[in-house]
Amino acid sequence: MSNTDDIRWVTQVALLGDKNAFDKLTCKYQSPIRRFFMNLTAGDGPLSDDLAQETFIKAYLNITAFKGLSGFSTWLYRIAYNVYYDSVRAQKHYEDIDETVIDNQHHTLNEFSAEKMDIYKALKMLRKEEQTAVLLFYMEDKTHKEIARIMNCPLGTAKTYILKGKERLTVYLTKAGYGN
Amino acid sequence: METNNKDKLLKDFFSNYKQEIADNGFTAHVMQKLPEETYRGWIVWIFAAIGMALTFYIGLQSGLVDHLLVLFKHVPVYYIIGGVFCFPLLGTAGFYFSQTKDYHLI
Repeated sequence: MSNTDDIRWVTQVALLGDKNAFDKLTCKYQSPIRRFFMNLTAGDGPLSDDLAQETFIKAYLNITAFKGLSGFSTWLYRIAYNVYYDSVRAQKHYEDIDETVIDNQHHTLNEFSAEKMDIYKALKMLRKEEQTAVLLFYMEDKTHKEIARIMNCPLGTAKTYILKGKERLTVYLTKAGYGN
Repeated sequence: METNNKDKLLKDFFSNYKQEIADNGFTAHVMQKLPEETYRGWIVWIFAAIGMALTFYIGLQSGLVDHLLVLFKHVPVYYIIGGVFCFPLLGTAGFYFSQTKDYHLI
C-alpha cells in the first residue's frame, strides 16, 4: 500500500465522508502509532491505546486540514505528538512516575513489557523531546525533515535532539554491555 | 566511539525492539467512536453544475454554440441532448446510489 493509496483514501474521507476509506487508513497506521505511544509511555498499553484512539479521531475530524504538503504518515504523527504532549501536560504525574509503578505495569498490563524493559529504561535517560526525536528517527525511520515537521521545530533543533539523545543512549547502552 | 558505530549501535538496538502490534479490534473500536458521517457528495454536484453553467455561458458568448448548432444541423437534437447531458448525469447518479448503499453497509 503506497502513499498514492493514502491520498486516495484521504480524498474520499475529506470529500465524501467515506468511513470505509478511513477504516483502511486506521488499519494501515494503527501499529506504528500504537508502538510510538507504547514506547513514549514506557509500555503502558491501555494509555497507549487511548492516546492512539484519540489521535485517529482527531485525524478524522480534521482531515480537511491535511494539505498534502507532507505525507499522511507525517501528518498523523504530528497529531500523535500533540495528543501525547497534551496528555503529559494534563497529567503531570506521568513525568514523575517511579520504577515501582512501571514494574507493576510491566507485569500486569503489558504482555511484551518484561522483555522490553531495556528500551524503556534507556528511553527514560532522555528528555521528552529527545525521546520523541530518537524514537521517530531510529524506530519509525523518519527523516530529519519529517521529524522537524512532526515536532513543529526548526530542522536544526530536531537534529540537536537526535544528536543529544544519541550521545546519552550510546553511553547508557555501552555501559549496559550492548556495544560489546 | 565513531558516529557511524553509534548509529549502528542504536539502529540495531531499536530494530531489536521494533514489532508490529496486532490490530485485535482496535480499528473497529476507533470506527465505532467516530461521529456520525455527514454526506458531502453535494460538493461534487455543485461543482458539476457550476462547470456546466460556465461552459454553456462561454459557449454562448464565443459563438461556439452557434457553430456547433450549424455543425450538428443534420443530427437530431435529442441525440445531442442524450449524448452530452444525459449519459454523464445518469452515470454520476448511478455512482452516487452505489456509494450511498456502501455507506449504509458500514
